[in-house]
Amino acid sequence: MSELLQLTNLTKKYGSFLANNNVSFKLKKGEVHALVGENGAGKTTLMRMLYGMEKPSSGNIQLHGKTISFSSPADAIKNGIGMVHQHFMVFPHFTVAENIVLGHEPKKGLFFNRRQAKADVQQLTQTYQISVDVHKKVKHCSIGEQQKIEILKVLYQGAEIIILDEPTAVLTPHEVKELLKTIRFLASQGKSIIIITHKLQEVMEVADRITVLRNGKVAGVTSKEDTNAHHLARLMVGRELKERPARIPSQGTSHLNVQNLFLKGKGQKNVLQNVSLHVSAGEIVGIAGVSGNGQSELLQTISGLVETGSGSIKLGDEDLTGRSVRERREAGIAHIPEDRYMWGASKDDTIEENALMGYQYKASYSKMGWLKRKIFKSSVEEWINEFSIKATSSKQKAGELSGGNLQKLIVARELGQNTSFLLAAEPTRGVDIGAMERIHDALIQKRNNGSAILLVSSELSEIISLSDRILVMYEGSIVGELTREEATEEKLSILMAGGTVEGDTVAETS
Amino acid sequence: MIQLQKLLKSLIQPVIAVIFGLAIGGIIISLTGGSVLQTYTELWNGAFGNFYFFSTTLARATPILLIALGVGFAFRAGVFNLGGEGQMVVGAISAAIVAYYLPAPGIVKLIAAIAAAVVAGGLLSVLAGWMEAAFKIQLVISTLLLNYIAVLFASYLAGHPFQDKTGSAALAQTPMIEQGAWLGKLFQGMPLHIGFIIALIGALLLWTVLRYSVFGYEVNASGKNPWFGAYGGIHQVKVMLFSMFISGSLAGLAGGFEVLGSQYRFVDGALTVPGYAWTGVMAALLANSNPIGIIFTSLLLAALQTGAMGLERNTDIPLEIASIMQAVLILFISAKFTKQWWKAKKKGADIRGAA
Amino acid sequence: MELLDWSLLNATLRMVAPILLAALGGMLCARVGIFNVGLEGLILIGAFSGIAGNYYTHNVFFAIVIAAGASLLFALLFGMMVVVFKANEIVVGVSINFLALGLTTFLLRTIFHTKGAYYDKNMQGIGTWDIPLIKDIPVIGDIVSGQSPLVYFAFLAAIAFYIFFYRTIFGFRLLAVGYNQVAASTLGLKAIRYQLFAIAACGILCGIAGAQLSLGQVTMFSEGMTSGRGFIALVAMMLGQSHPLGILASSILFGLMDAVSTRLQGFSIPTEFTMMVPYVLTLAAMFFLRDKGVETNQTSQQSAR
Repeated sequence: MSELLQLTNLTKKYGSFLANNNVSFKLKKGEVHALVGENGAGKTTLMRMLYGMEKPSSGNIQLHGKTISFSSPADAIKNGIGMVHQHFMVFPHFTVAENIVLGHEPKKGLFFNRRQAKADVQQLTQTYQISVDVHKKVKHCSIGEQQKIEILKVLYQGAEIIILDEPTAVLTPHEVKELLKTIRFLASQGKSIIIITHKLQEVMEVADRITVLRNGKVAGVTSKEDTNAHHLARLMVGRELKERPARIPSQGTSHLNVQNLFLKGKGQKNVLQNVSLHVSAGEIVGIAGVSGNGQSELLQTISGLVETGSGSIKLGDEDLTGRSVRERREAGIAHIPEDRYMWGASKDDTIEENALMGYQYKASYSKMGWLKRKIFKSSVEEWINEFSIKATSSKQKAGELSGGNLQKLIVARELGQNTSFLLAAEPTRGVDIGAMERIHDALIQKRNNGSAILLVSSELSEIISLSDRILVMYEGSIVGELTREEATEEKLSILMAGGTVEGDTVAETS
Repeated sequence: MIQLQKLLKSLIQPVIAVIFGLAIGGIIISLTGGSVLQTYTELWNGAFGNFYFFSTTLARATPILLIALGVGFAFRAGVFNLGGEGQMVVGAISAAIVAYYLPAPGIVKLIAAIAAAVVAGGLLSVLAGWMEAAFKIQLVISTLLLNYIAVLFASYLAGHPFQDKTGSAALAQTPMIEQGAWLGKLFQGMPLHIGFIIALIGALLLWTVLRYSVFGYEVNASGKNPWFGAYGGIHQVKVMLFSMFISGSLAGLAGGFEVLGSQYRFVDGALTVPGYAWTGVMAALLANSNPIGIIFTSLLLAALQTGAMGLERNTDIPLEIASIMQAVLILFISAKFTKQWWKAKKKGADIRGAA
Repeated sequence: MELLDWSLLNATLRMVAPILLAALGGMLCARVGIFNVGLEGLILIGAFSGIAGNYYTHNVFFAIVIAAGASLLFALLFGMMVVVFKANEIVVGVSINFLALGLTTFLLRTIFHTKGAYYDKNMQGIGTWDIPLIKDIPVIGDIVSGQSPLVYFAFLAAIAFYIFFYRTIFGFRLLAVGYNQVAASTLGLKAIRYQLFAIAACGILCGIAGAQLSLGQVTMFSEGMTSGRGFIALVAMMLGQSHPLGILASSILFGLMDAVSTRLQGFSIPTEFTMMVPYVLTLAAMFFLRDKGVETNQTSQQSAR
């Protein structure tokens, strides 16, 4: 059978950054083809080019043998390509049927023929065996039902090719089963499906063919029969290991103690599922995992930005459960946040003002409510020197700094208070090599000085290079713990993908 | 040097807006047959022509300045306090009642009245803030609604229980307060009173607080990036409530000063008709919520208004030309019509239009 | 005069029309995510343009059209600033109010050479319509018949908008744009189009409201004659939860209160308290309905807390 869709040598450049590098991808009619890779591997970019939301820098897309290029999502859907986004685009105040037909409503002159709409949608649910109550208002629908609406929407609009972007991220195991069944049924009815995911178990259950992306390039294309989850994990991750520096063994007492954390998410799924961990003084504990498995939320509950339903958080002797962010900072928590522009800085403020945040009450920087600006300024200038931050002066606006330099500033700020505990989330995301090494050195030094550090990163090499102990998070739980000596990229990537590892052997996942 | 450049850059926009506003006013005037040159001359004279007019301008600027400082401070914290009119009025009526009925020597009456004005305005404002914190009733709406309720209530007080029953005319106003409780004039026979100086001091104080204090730092941060502030441990709700209180108490003070320094009683409508509160909002926006800048924009708008009164006295041109110029000015400012804006818009279009 | 008699309801309906029309205009804006505080100014412009139009054309119908057109122009100014230039809607709305007040008073002086108010008893007003058949029904006939045609127009408009939102496709899509602009744009619904439509329609409605004010009962324009009606319309809109029939009810309620308070003066309850009621009611409504209220993307993001 010839290929329905062919993406040939697609390249997408953002400035000098290659998001996609000569990527080729094929899709047959009636096939389920999984597009697999880590965060930042280029999966979403590739699909955005297909769907008309980005223009390729070079390369060619062919549909039914004819070269096409879409200038907008509306274009794509007209040609039969529909995308089900990760973040649902629904209207809670409208009914299921109304949501599905919006934009293509059956009409009688100027009037909306709602009866026809309901009938049409009802027919659709039966044809494709996707059961949902068409009369229900979407605000009363579960997350799983909302996803069904999104799928029915693209079917209603006549999609022959359906792209699903991380569809199971927010579903309960039961809902996942239903979805996979639906996907196989749709394929049997002649629809062609592209599923973007990093859940290797599900890929093995549902896909016919699998393309693995890594760092913007195709790492491998294989059919289901020729592979398994283990093999896929290797293709996803295979990176050169960095030199591991020699290390003083840590021997501190347990400092951070987290017990039984639960956190409810938007749907019925728990974002944090009974998480317990501890970090000792002079130790770096790294949390490995693909983004979106609860790591961000874990750090947010420890820092106090999010309230948990239940569980306890202790720092040394102090019980921090339920305390405010400020109280936790005063107890000795520093925090390098995940998104530097949203949480970590204020673009319109100067470097000085940014560097003060979180510490404006400290005795060294303020007295009786008044800021000691001069003392503060000299601290900032020291940091600029120490971390080689490229800035014209401490009065420059933070938004003008490059990403790497801003990150260095944030790291300097959080390390500069000599706290006993540090939360570090993606500390070197989007940062050049030089800055990355500088930040890594600083983190190791802090650890050697006796602080406890909890590190979250989707960069496996960073986790392996820095951590004394590594925990792996998957679907809101801690699914594995490996010491520095035990950890290999292989083992970690299996755990990250939901598989199991026993001792030194790797269990085969079907 | 960089500082100076930056300062000049931030001034360009308001200056262009002012020029534009005056120009549009000029066009309208010439369209209706007036003389543009004569208009501008009379405007200037009406505002600054002699010492009496000059002090009238400054006297008018006082309530505008105070309210603008309050509104600007709230804006800095990222909070929309549109209740200045209501807060001013409750401050005024509180001052009028306390100053008349408190059995105490004049100076004590004066101080108590000022305190009453501050507290009344602040509490009304905090009420709206509390409603948002507790019930998510948006400030923009609740402050607008409370304006009406407050003004009507004060109107009732002045027209019924606390009405000045002396004299034959049944006016909605409170009795005149004794001279010992008056806020002194700065110059004999001129309408300018000490309130103006206090307002100037207030502006300097606010500027200092915003720039050098921890609280000011938190206010600024909350306004610029609330998530960053939350991350840093800033208690958003506390900052909002404090800002609302300060904002409301400044408006209340404005009302109190008008009563204690200009009219010596609460006269229903005397504070709302001249539109002090909305002018204050405009002055704050024009100055981008900078307390020192607000001094100048308040003076500018007050001058525009008194100048227009002079214009009307000496020509056929109605004083409403000032409102027109004021409105055009603000419209222009709100359009963010600068090179940077165009550049940013184009950049955004490029990124989106890449498909 | 008794406190409650049927002429009270007749008076109510008359006072309701301008508020109802403006509130419907505000509703349209709110439904696309724009809080239009400039209703006051738009009505005032309509009121003045109605008188001026009647003065120059000697034709009441043209006068109403001119009133609608003038307000439409200013509404489009508002629309351009807010939707295209992305200026803050509150600031622009307040400016429109100032501009309207200043401009109309200014023009009152320059065109009619009077201060305070312009009154021409020889000018033909809108008059009233006696509806055949209905006018003969006892009680109801007295209330319903004999109103200005714009009053009937206002009530019909409310019903028309109900049909518009809940039966037509355009109305359905407009609601969608207001509920979730991003999602709507992925379906090809361009927010700007719907927003400009809503603002333009709002302008026309406010213009007609103004015409009713200045030409409806007595043909007169006085400075600032809207006296806060634009804000009351806003309140009626909020109380009516931006729903056409809800607004119909709340506007009637406010009109009734307006009429009653005039009567109550004879009973020595201070008018100030009856005048407060609409505002207090709205606050109460916002409190009780806070979880079920109409929320569009924009209005619910006013405060980032």
